[in-house]
Amino acid sequence: MNLSRRALLGGGVALAAALTAGAADARILPSAMGPLIGPGYKPTDRDEIGLWQQMARVEEEVAGSNLLIKDPALNRYLQGLIGKVGGPAAQDMRIYLARIPEFNAVMFPTGFTVIFSGLLLRMRNEAQLAGVIAHESGHFLRKHQIRQWRDMRTKSDVFAVLAMGAGVAGGAAGVYTGDLARLAELGTILSLFRYNRTLEAEADAMGVRLLAGAGYAPDAMAETWDQLIRELDASAKYRRKKRDRGYSLFATHPAPEARMADLRVSAREVTVPGRGYDDGRDRYLSAIAPIRPMLLDDQVKLNDPGASQTIVETLAIDGWNGLLRFHEAEVWRLRNRAGDDARAALGYAASVGYADAPPDAWRWHGVMLQKAGRGAEARAAYARYLVMAPNAPDAPFIRQLLQ
Amino acid sequence: MRRNLIAVGVAALALSACVQTKQYANVEFAPPSGDYKLLVMRPDVTVGSVTTGGMVEPRADWTETARANLLAALKTQQAGRGGNVLILEKRDGLPGVDAETIAELERLHYAVGSSIALHKYSGAYLPTKRGKGLDWTLGQDAVALGRKSGMDYALFLHAEDSFVSPGRVALQVLGIAGCAVGFCAPTIGGGGQFAYASLVDLRTGEVVWFNVLQTGSQVAGIKFGDIRTADGAAVMVERLLGRMKPGKDVARALKAAQ
Repeated sequence: MNLSRRALLGGGVALAAALTAGAADARILPSAMGPLIGPGYKPTDRDEIGLWQQMARVEEEVAGSNLLIKDPALNRYLQGLIGKVGGPAAQDMRIYLARIPEFNAVMFPTGFTVIFSGLLLRMRNEAQLAGVIAHESGHFLRKHQIRQWRDMRTKSDVFAVLAMGAGVAGGAAGVYTGDLARLAELGTILSLFRYNRTLEAEADAMGVRLLAGAGYAPDAMAETWDQLIRELDASAKYRRKKRDRGYSLFATHPAPEARMADLRVSAREVTVPGRGYDDGRDRYLSAIAPIRPMLLDDQVKLNDPGASQTIVETLAIDGWNGLLRFHEAEVWRLRNRAGDDARAALGYAASVGYADAPPDAWRWHGVMLQKAGRGAEARAAYARYLVMAPNAPDAPFIRQLLQ
Repeated sequence: MRRNLIAVGVAALALSACVQTKQYANVEFAPPSGDYKLLVMRPDVTVGSVTTGGMVEPRADWTETARANLLAALKTQQAGRGGNVLILEKRDGLPGVDAETIAELERLHYAVGSSIALHKYSGAYLPTKRGKGLDWTLGQDAVALGRKSGMDYALFLHAEDSFVSPGRVALQVLGIAGCAVGFCAPTIGGGGQFAYASLVDLRTGEVVWFNVLQTGSQVAGIKFGDIRTADGAAVMVERLLGRMKPGKDVARALKAAQ
């Protein structure tokens, strides 16, 4: 009986793990987040050396991927940003920009990060982008990947030994321990997810600290989350669904609301009264200018009107322009609900009122005028389109219309 | 009596552990012989250690050793057939061919190889390819590489090997010992080899021959080869590439000629 008590104890430990996994994750203080590595870091432990060796091939694959946006000036700009918020590893980290229209960025164990183009679309200024990059730098500076690997290794080892020990002990005592083993397995899995969330919270705290240290408004990270929450809500609402609130025990990241709240408090902690903080909006806009039409176009074509409209409106908080008005109209035209054609027509008309209206705004403005029976105005709009985009694929067709 | 039963059980398990290869060839494939030039495309080798919990932890030192051993064994083995082997270590290692061309061919082969794995090995057989042997091609890109490099064949090679840690062996011992008290877990497994080789004829672009090797045991701690040693690497190369069978049409013609 002695042995089976130990088996029960093993199950109890796992059960405790399962229960604590459900408790709220406490905020991690930025002041507690020092970098764990210095400049020029190279691994010395056996497991980490193995991980780095495998990653070399992964980075080669990423660096040669045809998904990358190769614009040299933009890539220099991003590399410069990681240089500002990368802490001691600022000069060691590499950054790659991939054309994937999603809000995401990934840090790999060896210090290279992949930024998704959907992230650049959503950022209103340099401070917001620097905040995300600082968060990713935090993963590298706090050695998160290898720590997570070790956590998983330890927990799977402990689970394997406990489950086997309990089974043998149960066998000897004539007690079936299969249910306990299954419970312990669940506890192990839940505690892995919990550890992942803890690391994300660490990266947030570290990120806020790096961001403020580089002279950016540290509140930018909380702003980003606020924007994302509104976007997810709008996207779900359009589809008549409820947003996944992210409070699951199986979540790899803390819930967006919790992150936003923690980031707010952390930002206040690291803000130095009287110090001026920069948001770098002009620098940011000029850096992404060459690809901004593409970013908007990729998003609009995802067929997620709730999200697309919120993104355009969020960007327009800093002021409308022809590009944003055009894509707002595109969202409506492609959504195609009752009255959307009229809305889109108004949107194109509004867009061409701005000096920076893209050629396609003139084209669609012309189409809408023509449909409304305003032939003369339509011809003028088409003519303007041809002047701006004489080599457009449909230019010969439009010329034909004008004859 | 009980102890005898365990011994019999373990022996049966050891037998159920195995070395498996399964190869497919293009119907017109004749194994390379004579004076041919073989280009080995950046061999992908990983060696790791199986933790107590069953995860594979990559080991850089073992990987380096195994890689060097495998390449040496490959050179020796191919030389025995009359082949001249050029091993491409880096994407930009072939004069006159840029790294991007190699990268694209690697990605193309990855897609084609995955398709072969799915439709020839994973059970998703295609009725349109029944009886046609290996019917896949990398197309003109591979032919162009052959023309530029002057090589006859390209070989894509992938090899994994893993070794159980002492903790895993202890767990296995416990699992077998448990049989004595009625909790029998004698097959936790872990450790073993997985490798594949894919031969592309650079004159036609076709994947002419494909082989998959798997070795493993359901009992943690029992191994069938170790590519960290020169002998073990030679064994893997021999198992993987040693017995290339000709394609169906060629085999039939050979038989008729006899």
